[in-house]
Amino acid sequence: MRIALAQIAPRLGDVERNLDLHLEYMERARREKADLLVFPELSLTGYTLKDLAGEVALDPRTSPLFKRITARSRGLSVVAGFMEERAEEKGLFYNSAAFISGGRILHVHRKVFLPTNGLFEEAKFFAPGRDFRTFPTPFGKAGLLICRDFLHYGASYVLYAGGTDMIIAVSAAPGRGVGGGEAFESGRMWELMGEAIAGFSTAFVVYVNRVGSEDGVTFAGGSFVCGPDGRFLARAASLDAEFLVLDLDLAAVREARMKRLYKRDEKPDIILRSLERVVRVPED
Amino acid sequence: MSLKIDAPFVERVLTRFIRDELAKFGFKKGILGLSGGLDSAVCAALAARALGPANVLGLIMPCGDAFPADVRDAERVGRALGIRARVIDIAPQIDAYFAAQPTKDRRRRGNKMARERMSILYDYSAREKALILGTSNKTELLIGYGTIHGDLACAINPVGDLYKTQVRQLARHLGLPAPILRKPPTAGLWAGQTDEAEIGLTYAELDEILENIVEKGKSAADMIKAGIKPAAVRGVWEMIRRSEFKRRMPPIAKLSQRSVGHDFLYPYDWGR
Repeated sequence: MRIALAQIAPRLGDVERNLDLHLEYMERARREKADLLVFPELSLTGYTLKDLAGEVALDPRTSPLFKRITARSRGLSVVAGFMEERAEEKGLFYNSAAFISGGRILHVHRKVFLPTNGLFEEAKFFAPGRDFRTFPTPFGKAGLLICRDFLHYGASYVLYAGGTDMIIAVSAAPGRGVGGGEAFESGRMWELMGEAIAGFSTAFVVYVNRVGSEDGVTFAGGSFVCGPDGRFLARAASLDAEFLVLDLDLAAVREARMKRLYKRDEKPDIILRSLERVVRVPED
Repeated sequence: MSLKIDAPFVERVLTRFIRDELAKFGFKKGILGLSGGLDSAVCAALAARALGPANVLGLIMPCGDAFPADVRDAERVGRALGIRARVIDIAPQIDAYFAAQPTKDRRRRGNKMARERMSILYDYSAREKALILGTSNKTELLIGYGTIHGDLACAINPVGDLYKTQVRQLARHLGLPAPILRKPPTAGLWAGQTDEAEIGLTYAELDEILENIVEKGKSAADMIKAGIKPAAVRGVWEMIRRSEFKRRMPPIAKLSQRSVGHDFLYPYDWGR
């Protein structure tokens, strides 16, 4: 399969303009004969929304704007980030990402871990999601994570235990630390996590971060794809917008799982029982 | 000292920040006060690289002929960078004001001058359709070494997250004229004033303490145990505490359900 990563800079709070950007990139992905195009976290709205959350929130099933993406997803699957508010949950705004394919929304993931410290204010404005799950796609099973979700390794474990072939982590990660390396120091942290999670999961990890700046915060870019052996298949630039296209050999998951038998020998039942004990009786 | 920066990368981030932020608000040009010192020279150099020298205007605003060497240094920076520079003497308005409101308080006089320069920058900002670049570094912001509504006022600040010692590293990388790199930092409020004499610490000492407090989250006790002078540690903490008002919008007395600054919260870059 051919995958495309859209390392873009959305305009803050301007959904219509960002929709145009999405449609543009979808055309570009089609020309490149990509099967899947992945946008970063909150790609339709921008990240630092604060009280704008309620003004840009939409229901992906009924929003005419969102439907323009869904309608164009035949032959090109898309992962896009948006602020979600469903008719049955009025006033609750979720930081969500949808996997869209063949004219349908296959899955919506709502960010579970909302960073609220220092420059992050998500739990102040957003409602938390409550679930991690894998879902079938034309390219095998996939799982979606949003930014901070990816740094809580239990989240990836659930997707792995659920049989995912591909973990797609979309992100709006700010760059921090300028001590060296021709990129923000925080970028290396994401790469390390990507390599480790791909290796542990014997699955592809697709990490798509955004660029541009909002209110003085520069988003670091540095999107990447790791293969099921934990090695980088491609890395995008830091800071610059980029459209990264590469071919993934889906058979690599099978190869990795035949070579390293973690998946076959995994014992989620024991992990679950142990976790239940930890949750019920905190260790002293 | 672990405040070493990757200067070429910092230049990349900051020039992009200046370019993007101006473009978001529909500006092509940047304007700033050129004092002849290091911080404004670094800002001007970043702006020249971000926007092109022709799109940067440096205002040199002496008060009469008090500091001729600083005016010469500022002009030298302007020439070296190829930016537009203009000298505006603020003595007429300063002298007129203090003729009517006489004082020997040099701090009041200095702050008045800093605010006069701010007022001129904002007028020129409108006149030139140019956004004002702030030049206060992280060290100054943290200890409150600046005049509120004076040199602290700006539209965007590219250097506010760089300690003074880091601004120096960036200045060397940007190839600023040697005399600018060497001269002792001064607020220029009165003759013979230097930052380090007034603060009572060198910037190296000050930045070490600030790094411990801000970057590493060390307590005063930790720092004193590590051999930093107790008086210096306490003095820096006190400067930080006393100057919080300079880093904030003023508190608004809350009455309604939703109040500006408290719970009516929109991003600066809204729709940009």
